[in-house]
Amino acid sequence: MKVDLGPITRIEGHLNVHTTVENNVITDAQCMGEMFRGFEVFLQGRDPLDAQQITQRICGVCPYAHAIASSYAQENAYQLKVPSNGRILHNLIQGANHLYDYLLQFYQLSALDFVDVTAILKYKGKDADLLHLKGWVQAELASGKPFPAAPFLPRLSGNYINDTDLNIGALKHYIEAMHIQQKANRAAAIFGGKFPHTTAIFPGGATQTPSIDKISNYVALITEVRNFIHNTYIPDIVAVAGGFPNYWNIGASKGGFLSYGLMPLTSDRNSKRLMAPGVLLDGTVQKVDFERITQDINHSKYSSPTALKVRDAVLTPAPHKKDAYSWIKAPRYNGRMVEVGPSARIMVDYLQGHNPTVKKLVETFAKMAKIQASQLNSVLGRHLCRAISAAVIADFLLAETERLDPKGPTMADLSVPASAEGFGATEASRGGLLHYIRIEKHKIARYECVVPTTWNASPRDDQGNPGAMESALIGTKVTNPEEQLEALRIVHSFDPCIACAVH
Amino acid sequence: MIDRRQFLQMAATLSTVFGVSNLPAPVQAALNKIDPASLPKLVYLQGQSCTGCSISLLQAESPSPASLITDYSQLAFHADLSAISGKKAVEMITRFVTGQAGPYLLAIEGAIPAKMPEACVIGEHPFAWYLDQAAKTMTAAVAVGTCASHGGIPAAEGNPTGACSLREYYAQTGVKKPVIAIPGCPPHPDWVWQTVVHLVKIGMPELTKDGSPKLFFDRKVHETCPRYHDFQQEIFAKKLGANGCLFKLGCLGPDTSADCPTRWWNGGQNWCIGANAPCIGCASPIFARKKNFPFYRIAELQKTSK
Repeated sequence: MKVDLGPITRIEGHLNVHTTVENNVITDAQCMGEMFRGFEVFLQGRDPLDAQQITQRICGVCPYAHAIASSYAQENAYQLKVPSNGRILHNLIQGANHLYDYLLQFYQLSALDFVDVTAILKYKGKDADLLHLKGWVQAELASGKPFPAAPFLPRLSGNYINDTDLNIGALKHYIEAMHIQQKANRAAAIFGGKFPHTTAIFPGGATQTPSIDKISNYVALITEVRNFIHNTYIPDIVAVAGGFPNYWNIGASKGGFLSYGLMPLTSDRNSKRLMAPGVLLDGTVQKVDFERITQDINHSKYSSPTALKVRDAVLTPAPHKKDAYSWIKAPRYNGRMVEVGPSARIMVDYLQGHNPTVKKLVETFAKMAKIQASQLNSVLGRHLCRAISAAVIADFLLAETERLDPKGPTMADLSVPASAEGFGATEASRGGLLHYIRIEKHKIARYECVVPTTWNASPRDDQGNPGAMESALIGTKVTNPEEQLEALRIVHSFDPCIACAVH
Repeated sequence: MIDRRQFLQMAATLSTVFGVSNLPAPVQAALNKIDPASLPKLVYLQGQSCTGCSISLLQAESPSPASLITDYSQLAFHADLSAISGKKAVEMITRFVTGQAGPYLLAIEGAIPAKMPEACVIGEHPFAWYLDQAAKTMTAAVAVGTCASHGGIPAAEGNPTGACSLREYYAQTGVKKPVIAIPGCPPHPDWVWQTVVHLVKIGMPELTKDGSPKLFFDRKVHETCPRYHDFQQEIFAKKLGANGCLFKLGCLGPDTSADCPTRWWNGGQNWCIGANAPCIGCASPIFARKKNFPFYRIAELQKTSK
């Protein structure tokens, strides 16, 4: 039978997955990005310095990653020498955004796939938030409305957590996480002005002066977030893993892994990063070469040529193209399908023995859960790798604040050449993000973004090979083929962002 | 026009969506008198959006997101929060927009691809289909953010989808239902829910010529900017990151109506000019629309200095 899973909720944007199910096993899956705006088209002819602002609006969930990738691309194009403060401010703004996004992804976007909301009706304690929630759910269910307790009910059928205390604890943390994500965003706003969509990030640094009052305010907020990560978020992931250990073996993608590395440690353009870049193919990690990235479009709704390199990309929308089923392109590395995201980021770093904390955390959790490092390629692996990223980033941000010079410059002097080109790559929370800018006659002649979910939710490539998420879904057993909670858990573990993927 | 009763209903609905925990006591009391079971529902749909508006609404500190969870029983559907997914989610939306689930308000985030309906699809229909249905059945609509209010980034010059705002779309299709525009890329969460407070206490807010509450959008950023003194003294920042009035770097505060200089963002933490960053006019009806109207005047300064 054929079942459409879309519109998939608790993700960013408009995603459908067309599945074929036989004998309760998904035998085919097609990921369909269903919203298109055409950023690369309307960026042409604009002032180059518009780019880090316009591209943030690709995604309101991870806008800072786009601002950073665009700034790096322009820094490379303009050959800027970024002052130490500029690099650190970029990291402080972007890093805080990662922390908020991990919490949002786990609690608001994923938890309801596992947690039984109705357990609140059994609550007998005295916590004011939980009593309020209990009263509200009771009143809703008694109200006779068509959709009581929306948006938490109705939900998909399936096996949720049985343990009442665990469910109720998770609901409490769902509420708390909403406060804590704000603290991370407040911290980012100290140096970025506001969230979402910062105006303070520029190529060459940021405009805010890192005076001591701002630094201490940032440290206090990030410390609160860090404590929540260690005391609540990580234990909750361990608890979910304990309740659903089979998800260490469900949702593995069937290709390689790519990470561009996250947050430079010095202002040198080729600086080492907190987390190392690399592409993991056939068990070995290789250096990333942007020239090996091409984007297939035979199954995408564009009539422009297929398999173009990033610097050659063109985009002609063709909404009625035959056999095309998605607005998402199919990027491939050396012709190979790869997954990007937290698991890719952690595995690529871990296998290079790069960041000692990553190594320590991977080995601690692998031992605790009795899994191999290769099982980070799974539903639970992606959640765990987000938590590992969060722990590593939070400590790094606190250390970075010590390196700020309150009297030093925060920006390079900006001078935009008449013609230039540059690549800029970073890790958004949901995976590797690459921007390319080419400037001719002082205007943007070409702009290309290859975005995390473009890789993960890609349709078939020109060889007919599935994208990472498609490959992770194919072969999955589902209890109820009409609803497929198991498939939803897989999709959510990728944290897809369709506004990003298509843009 | 909608009458005061409809507005009260709408206000109460919105307040349950965005929370009311920290409202002044008389307002809270007024809201408490309304039986939640009798309220119209709110259906929040996303078109050509980036979800930044929704994420901004989650940054509302007073009221808190916790009250968002427990008090928004009337939020029938929001793609980022609803537990239900897939066919059942579409069924729910469809029941509302076809008038089978009682009165409701429509909140729209994002633009409408008027010339390429395939560029935004929900379930089996283009996004615009839901808007067409809703036009016949909804009480009123709130355009959340600059895209839904004025077109915004998806409607930037040279865009391939013919993107337009909700108001433009309804004007094109002859729909006369009221639409309140709350611009901003993203909008400040207060702008959305405090509009509701105004509705409850006073009634229909006075709107600007662009259809937005004057309470928040009546004065230019420049007029209430703490650097207005620098402007008068002709103390101008000559490069990014410098102090002084940012006008010569391209600050669009003089052209943009919003109360950012007094409200500040993220729980009052900061705002763009507070971070030394020029205003890029994100709440302006012409935000990002023209290629020859860049955000900054850096290139211009570069040329004149040579």
